[in-house]
Amino acid sequence: MKTSSTSGLALAALALAAASVASPASAQAQASGNADTGRLKSSMCAGCHSIPGYKTAFPEVYHVPKIDGQHSAYIVSALKAYKSGERRHPSMRAVAASLSDQDMADLAAFYASGPAKSASR
Amino acid sequence: MRKLTLAAVVSACVFAGAVQAANPEAGKEKSRTCAACHGPDGNSAAADFPKLAGQHYDYLLKTLKDYKSGVRKNAIMAPQVANLNQRDIEDLAAYYSHQQGLVTRKNPYLVPKSH
Repeated sequence: MKTSSTSGLALAALALAAASVASPASAQAQASGNADTGRLKSSMCAGCHSIPGYKTAFPEVYHVPKIDGQHSAYIVSALKAYKSGERRHPSMRAVAASLSDQDMADLAAFYASGPAKSASR
Repeated sequence: MRKLTLAAVVSACVFAGAVQAANPEAGKEKSRTCAACHGPDGNSAAADFPKLAGQHYDYLLKTLKDYKSGVRKNAIMAPQVANLNQRDIEDLAAYYSHQQGLVTRKNPYLVPKSH
């Protein structure tokens, strides 16, 4: 009896671990994005992220990040973090606040369709 | 002539300083821990981890500094940057910004979409 309860516990722990590992992947699958729709929604992004070499002017001066070719799941998580306020940037907070989950997925699909190398090992 | 020489010497020093400040080769050596998630050249295979290859040098600097100062919070990145000094951060940013990867496509509203 003792062994079965121990193995039951171990199984539960395994299931918990599997669930926590699986959650980022399932979060990605929530909304599937359309790159063409995303392109049409990207006018707010283009003024900074589609001008090669563009720099921010506020609150600090640095090149705005390149996002063409970035993973779509990462773009969605960044936009959500800006929307929730977890990541702070005045312009990005304002832009992300106006986006629905579907908008984020579409924009992410558009930017992920950029020509960066998909992966290397 | 003297002014010119002085200007040349000053600019040579500034240049040497800039080159010395950020060394992509040293950054490559220091990037081994980063490679586990971000890929050996910053083109990460896993979608949850951002690609860094080709990212702007100054943006990478800002990001690493923000993680280090706690302005940007991330459970994975916080312990990674805790032991990096300014020099490490500059070298890593130099390494990833020199790799081929991310780009900036021109404004899709100014360039007709090709089919």
